Amino acid sequence: MRGADYVIRRIGFALLTVFIAITINFFLFRVLPGNVVSDLARVPHATPQLRHALTKEFGLDRPKWEQYLIYLRELVHGNLGISFATQQPVSRLLLNDLKNTIPMVTIGTLGAIVVGIATGVLSAWRRGSASDHVSTNLAIAFYAFPTQFLGLMLLILLGGLLPTSGMENPYAGVFGTQSTFARLQDIGLHLILPALTLLLTLYGEFTLIMRSSMLETLGEDYVLTARAKGLTDRRIIARHVVRNALLPIVTLVALSVGWIVGGAILVEYIFSWPGIGQALWQAINQRDYPMLQGGFLLLAVSVVVLNLIADLAYFRLDPRIKQ
Amino acid sequence: MSGAGAAVLEVRDLNVWFTLPGGGELHAVQGVSFDLGAGERFGLVGESGCGKTTSILAMMGLLPPTASVAGEVRLAGQDILAGGEDSVRPHRWTDMAMVFQGAMNALNPVRPVAAQIAEPILLHGGGSAAAARQRAGELLELVGIPAASGARYPHEFSGGMRQRAAIAMALACEPKVLLADEPTTALDVMVQAQIMDLLVRLCDELGLALVLVTHDLPVVAQVCQRAAVMYAGEIVETGSTDALYHQTRHPYTRMLFAATPDLYSDSEVRSIPGAPPRLDRPVPGCPFQPRCDSALDRCADERPLLRDVRAGSGPEAPAETGFADAAHLAACHLNDAVVTQ
Amino acid sequence: MSAIATEAGLAGTVAPGRAGLIRQAIAERKAAALGLGLIVFFVVLAVAAPLIAPYSTTARSCAVFAPPSGAHWLGCDDGGIDVLSEIISGGRISLVIGFAATLIAMLIGGGVGIASGYFGRWLDITLMRITDYLLVIPDLAFAMVIADVWGPSLSHVIGVIAILEWATTARIIRAQVMSVKERVYIKRARSIGASHARIIGRHILPQVGPLLMANTVLTVAVAIYLETALAFLGLEDPTTTTWGTILEHAFDRSAVSAGAWWAIVPDGIVITLLIMGCFLLGQAIEDALNPRLRVAHLSSRRWALRPLAGRGPDAI
Repeated sequence: MRGADYVIRRIGFALLTVFIAITINFFLFRVLPGNVVSDLARVPHATPQLRHALTKEFGLDRPKWEQYLIYLRELVHGNLGISFATQQPVSRLLLNDLKNTIPMVTIGTLGAIVVGIATGVLSAWRRGSASDHVSTNLAIAFYAFPTQFLGLMLLILLGGLLPTSGMENPYAGVFGTQSTFARLQDIGLHLILPALTLLLTLYGEFTLIMRSSMLETLGEDYVLTARAKGLTDRRIIARHVVRNALLPIVTLVALSVGWIVGGAILVEYIFSWPGIGQALWQAINQRDYPMLQGGFLLLAVSVVVLNLIADLAYFRLDPRIKQ
Repeated sequence: MSGAGAAVLEVRDLNVWFTLPGGGELHAVQGVSFDLGAGERFGLVGESGCGKTTSILAMMGLLPPTASVAGEVRLAGQDILAGGEDSVRPHRWTDMAMVFQGAMNALNPVRPVAAQIAEPILLHGGGSAAAARQRAGELLELVGIPAASGARYPHEFSGGMRQRAAIAMALACEPKVLLADEPTTALDVMVQAQIMDLLVRLCDELGLALVLVTHDLPVVAQVCQRAAVMYAGEIVETGSTDALYHQTRHPYTRMLFAATPDLYSDSEVRSIPGAPPRLDRPVPGCPFQPRCDSALDRCADERPLLRDVRAGSGPEAPAETGFADAAHLAACHLNDAVVTQ
Repeated sequence: MSAIATEAGLAGTVAPGRAGLIRQAIAERKAAALGLGLIVFFVVLAVAAPLIAPYSTTARSCAVFAPPSGAHWLGCDDGGIDVLSEIISGGRISLVIGFAATLIAMLIGGGVGIASGYFGRWLDITLMRITDYLLVIPDLAFAMVIADVWGPSLSHVIGVIAILEWATTARIIRAQVMSVKERVYIKRARSIGASHARIIGRHILPQVGPLLMANTVLTVAVAIYLETALAFLGLEDPTTTTWGTILEHAFDRSAVSAGAWWAIVPDGIVITLLIMGCFLLGQAIEDALNPRLRVAHLSSRRWALRPLAGRGPDAI
């Protein structure tokens, strides 16, 4: 396989970054001023036995470096501690939250990518025309709108028509069990506003980059060559332009993951969507440090993984990258 | 040998204007005409910006939307420019193909080379993908590249190999005319010679007519049977390369030759002072007059026309549009004296 | 193939000295002028805030969620405080946070980028590993954690934003420095024994300056965005009034169900306008640094055919 060593290097690099993230995560919550987290055992309402068990498990009576090693060991076993607020294992709670976040964020992001690419291509094709100006300025405007403002606007405009809070109607199953289809439909309706907010917040950047990339590609010599070979405009765009112009989008998606996460946090907060963003915020509010620590780590690792995927995808798509 | 039989390409009074972003127009090509016979090698020479590249791009209709074109480009007697882009397109690559300057980016970097050679074959000829790939391999061999290398990507080729591949690609649909725009400029000297040899060999073997656009005079003298010298968008002198060299009839041509270093002679290399005129406004007299070392008074006001400068042609004989291969034309008032003898 | 560009006489772009680049960018591009105008407008507004704001931002002056009226152009918020005054005064603090955080981020980022790019080797490797981490962690999540751990005061918010933003700049500046470092005149300066400080100050900084400028402007936009996001999530000092806290109050006190759009829309619009202004200006400077002379080879329009009128051998 081409560049097996490149792939291995990138994976290794990602692993290193994850390791650094884990380490910094540890110190962030133990060593920083405020001395907030030294005690995982400080779970409210816990029995002394639970506290004792946790202290033993995480070595909270041991020196910091030992705690670090124990932390690593427990991490490998998937043990992120016990949530102060709910007394449930953090890892189980986070996994559940992740399950809720992923569909909403995926739909919003994919939507943004599709809309962004489509408008970017059209804008570039009709460069200088009125529709180009409108499309580009709209993209800039939506890019500039703060996410929470977009969410609030959608609440104002569509709040009467669509569900505005939570992932599903909490009273739906009260009068007999709901069918899966009905449940999915319910979730789907609840998903519209948050996903739409995310889409609107993200798509602008994709439009601008795609437009710019298209214009760049349209000026490449090989496009003139394709034209010289007698290909029709449509064929040239399909076979030579779009493929090449899409490459920067892959990079952009990778760079945007941090912002997608940020947008997701705001969106989940506004629409009370029970995902990781919401969990993170609640953890802060409730001083639930194990959840906060676990949630943050999960987000950081997700970003590293997604970056790695995008990196490898780009490597696969662009034969010019040799190393 | 040159011009045997009917002309395969006739260019008549080609004009190209570009609208400028701030308004106004640039008259980049001003009435270019020439004939090309089957298997003939014709050079188009001039400084950068003289309109030679624009001319050949116009011939294939490859201009940007800011351009307007007038004139005729006849392939086998039929004007292909008459219907704009749509009438030119069917002739691209099948009748006329082009090799671009410095094929660094003329090939799509994310597709294998053989696929790009096969593309026009499939497009214009139909047939199976396998047959097209086979043919692509043959073409690569023809230009001296192993067929197996076709699976590679352009960035894996050296500059010279890329240019060869571009030539192979240009031959894919067996065109009658090959337009080569500075095909060797971006390459080093040894490779330049190889590429030019290749082009000459291919033209001879395949009966291909060649228009070689270049600023490199010695190459033209070596490779081409006839040539035209362009200045400020128009042809100022044209004829057999022999006549151009030995019986130069235009000061610009003469000064061009003088500006070319010659390994074997002691003569000084003299560059031409000044710069070409702006093309966004009409020039009343001869466009070369400000830089000419033999300008007459009338050169500033009266534009010289391109006409036959062989001894014996009458003073007012305009350039015949049917260019016989022995014709030697120049646009310079200095020739009035010569011609009347 | 740039022959077309040359022959089409598009050679009107004379490259000015680097310092004049920014001035030229602004003069030539409407977007840049608009962006600069917006930024200047808000800065002036912020400076003049105490003189302009009609009402106090701490004392009640009207009913809760009172709609816009002659006395209160933008109505009142959930605490009976005049929205227009809030926006004018809030802009002050938002801008201070934005500019201060950006300044710190630029100083660190620029410094790290130059040091990393210029000196290379182990310094480069170490610094780049640190930026790698910072670039990977999700901004808002990290900011939330730090704001919570450190406490929600304004200076902490400034610090958090600065920590997050210097890494991107460092990367960009480093790349530029590395390419400038290889230029001939730098090597020449080194060979005649110029000190590092001199080379950096005299040769590298001017080259890197405009890029840093563009980056600074774009970072201000990010800083404003982060500030409003943190405020919205309740992680900023609740006693202060910033553009971010205005939206937070509106959401927390159900301005939406009360139908009080005036507590939401004007604030959102000013934030958007400032971010847009920064974006337009920053982009314009970046565009000026990378002029694209390319003619598109493909377009929806086509070249035109002109009839040959009155042309013949003796026509001009």
